[in-house]
Amino acid sequence: MEISKVVEILKRQQSTKILLLLCILFFMPLLNNLYLNTIVISIGFYSIVTMGFILLMGFAGQISLGQAIFFGLGAYISGILAVKYDISPWLTLVLATVTTGCIAMLLGRAIFRLRGLIVGGITLALNLVFFNLVQSMSGITGGATGMMNIPQLPSGGFMSYSLFIYYVVWLSVILLLVFSLNLVNSRVGRALKAMNLFSGGSDVTAQVMGINIMKYKAGIFAVSAMFASLAGSIYAHYISCIEPATFGVSYSVMIAIMAILGGLSSPWGALLGAALIVGITELLREIIPLFTGGTTGAYELIAYGFILMATLRYLPSGMISVFNRLTKLGDKSSTEVISP
Amino acid sequence: MNPSALLQFLISGMNLGCIYAAIGLGLFVVYSVTRVLNLAQGEFVMLGGMLTVSLLRMGIPLLPTLLLAVVITAFVGAFLYQVIIYPARNSSGSTHVFLTAGFAFSLEGIALLVWGWGDRGLPNFLNSPNIHLWGATIFGQTPWIVVSTLIMVIGLFLFYSRTIQGKALRACADQPLGARIVGISTEKMALFSFMLAAALGAISGAVITPLTMTSYGVGLPLTVKGMLAAFIGGLNKAEGVIVGGIVLGLAEAMSAGLMPSGYYEVIALSALILVFLCRPRGLVTTQSEV
Amino acid sequence: MIETQQKPILEIVDLSVAFKELMAVNKVSFTVFQGDITAIIGPNGAGKTTLSKLTTGLLKPLGGEIWFKQQKLNNLLPHSIAALGITQVFQDIKLFENMSVLENIMVGCHVWTRSGFLTSGLREMHARVEEKTIRDTAWDKLCLVGLQEKASDYPSSLSWGQQRLIGMARALAANPELLFLDEPYGGLRANEIEKLSHLVLTLQKQGLTIIIVDHLLDCVMSIANRVIFLVDGKKVTEGTPSEIEQNELIRHTYMGNALSRGIRRKSEQ
Repeated sequence: MEISKVVEILKRQQSTKILLLLCILFFMPLLNNLYLNTIVISIGFYSIVTMGFILLMGFAGQISLGQAIFFGLGAYISGILAVKYDISPWLTLVLATVTTGCIAMLLGRAIFRLRGLIVGGITLALNLVFFNLVQSMSGITGGATGMMNIPQLPSGGFMSYSLFIYYVVWLSVILLLVFSLNLVNSRVGRALKAMNLFSGGSDVTAQVMGINIMKYKAGIFAVSAMFASLAGSIYAHYISCIEPATFGVSYSVMIAIMAILGGLSSPWGALLGAALIVGITELLREIIPLFTGGTTGAYELIAYGFILMATLRYLPSGMISVFNRLTKLGDKSSTEVISP
Repeated sequence: MNPSALLQFLISGMNLGCIYAAIGLGLFVVYSVTRVLNLAQGEFVMLGGMLTVSLLRMGIPLLPTLLLAVVITAFVGAFLYQVIIYPARNSSGSTHVFLTAGFAFSLEGIALLVWGWGDRGLPNFLNSPNIHLWGATIFGQTPWIVVSTLIMVIGLFLFYSRTIQGKALRACADQPLGARIVGISTEKMALFSFMLAAALGAISGAVITPLTMTSYGVGLPLTVKGMLAAFIGGLNKAEGVIVGGIVLGLAEAMSAGLMPSGYYEVIALSALILVFLCRPRGLVTTQSEV
Repeated sequence: MIETQQKPILEIVDLSVAFKELMAVNKVSFTVFQGDITAIIGPNGAGKTTLSKLTTGLLKPLGGEIWFKQQKLNNLLPHSIAALGITQVFQDIKLFENMSVLENIMVGCHVWTRSGFLTSGLREMHARVEEKTIRDTAWDKLCLVGLQEKASDYPSSLSWGQQRLIGMARALAANPELLFLDEPYGGLRANEIEKLSHLVLTLQKQGLTIIIVDHLLDCVMSIANRVIFLVDGKKVTEGTPSEIEQNELIRHTYMGNALSRGIRRKSEQ
């Protein structure tokens, strides 16, 4: 049958990409460049959170400008459990992720009774609430100055901690990427796409086809929240001190920018977008002081805004569409992945 | 609670409420005509305040300063529509929202570049003094805030109901195709709505700065709060938006007075979010739109 | 004529729904029998489409009841009603633009499959087996409507008639017991009409109960076993096509030549 032949070829291409990624990641530490390592770790964190966003917005068509909430929840819950209750850091990762997932499920049930742009507005407002909440609860969270002395993840001492985190983060990225690709090409993925009003789906038709809209919206919201939470927990144990400013509204918008730049049509877009934005940020940090000798914060903001507007205007499907055109995958149907 | 404390809360609430109402109105004006949720609305407020500070510092008297600040901001709004939104007019609503978000980010960056990190303040207009009444303090700037907001509201109301342009705006909001058929240029109306929203934002920004100070980053939180206020009131009814703003302002002031400091924003925002989730159509609207 | 069992599958009892002050459906009652092709006809505004929205759960009735195989549908959500075995093909089709034709049909399989977030994400055995079944079923239905070559194309590249057929394939992928067709003949060319009617009759032979809502009488009257006639939200009469034809009053008042054409075609079979 023709169909299965096409599927076979595409199957190979997807796993090729993953193998390529694994090779790059394996060789990267051998360069022994601490600066590069730090950047790549940063890209890793952003990739995970952005991937969740892409699943939520690119596939299910729900705008959530509140990913920072779950990134923050993961970080703070993990931090609190480790610092105040002396729980093993690895365990805190699990506990924080599960807790955040439950919160997101409940939140999702409340929020997704609304449709359209308002969801984005509400998540934005919730993000602001979260930020203020974290800042106010100084007893528990350390307030505006933040929480400190979060223990590291036990690494067994085989390598430097930063190298260890590098592997932890990117292993997570790969696993979550495979999970996302599987999800996207499955019954669940199709159900999500069917509900996506922004890209040509119809939630009315989807319901008539037997898809429980609320269950899937809340479900994918929880999935994307857990992605962000996991990243947050690892982050907390990585930099050891966290502060509320990191988890504000700007972070959520940044994630959206990375997702849109990378491309909302595939989980790969997350890696692409994160890499590009982090890369551009570093570039600006190097170049701008040469000209002005002053703060670069302003130029970055301007650049991000500009990138967002330019992408939406000239390349709405994101950089990944450029990649696709180059590798001639084109506009064809689903691909499948062999899970490890 | 004693009466003077209550009075104080009411006054603070009114101040804040006026600002949130004004932001909500700006959102309403743009949304009703273009169906775009303008996340850069708060930036207009920031610009209004910042420009006023700089222009006054240059020695320009108050009234021309205010006028200039409003006009410049209006042009920024025009830029947003003409250069950013209009070329993408056939895209989805979510694209428009993100475009305004990108614009807001860039504006913030430019503001940071021009004015730096610090807070900027202004003296009360005409140096109006604080009034002490029944144990509460009416801040000197309060009359200016309330009056200017009232003028904006009444002005808007008259504009919509009495003038041709206003009626044209309403026509575009209700029936874009019909409006076009009778010869109203929906593009011109859209442009005008952005400029109007920017002007409204600038006025509130200028008028609130003596009280709360302004800085490059106030835009986004203000947009979020104004948006929430607008949702509560019902984004498609001007009266609702105003009510929403006042409610949010009062809620914040009340929480500030009653709760340990710092939590007030949380309480106010959460309360309003809860209300909104229970009544998604808003407190004032009777139709199921948006 | 097909021999039909007189076993009721769908019962509409005193159903009413109003839009503002207008009674779109006003105390309508009728029974649909298993294995029948039932036509719901009437002039525009008769409430036919509203009726189909009520049976799929997209609208909540003001009064009355809908029973499907001894199960009351009134308060069920659309996806639960779909799970019971009722599917509908809308007037405007609404294929999912963001996936290929084959994937569209695969969505139809959603009702009788179970892979959830975890099983799909981890690509467990159960999910993989189910996915194969879904793909095969979808391919089957695609062949049934004869559009195999369009499998990996996107809906925007299809003609209206082809989209209609894919919409049907998608509905059939759900393996329903009751299929609602809302104005299926609209915009079709003559040969496409033939193809569709032929498909409907084939499906009836396979045991499917079909309800067709339409106002193009020629097509519908020639294949229906039973006709229900609505005007302005009320059921005026029901019966076999020939009974309806013989009803002088209806013939002259509402149908004019169209009905006679429909009956003539049937008798020519």
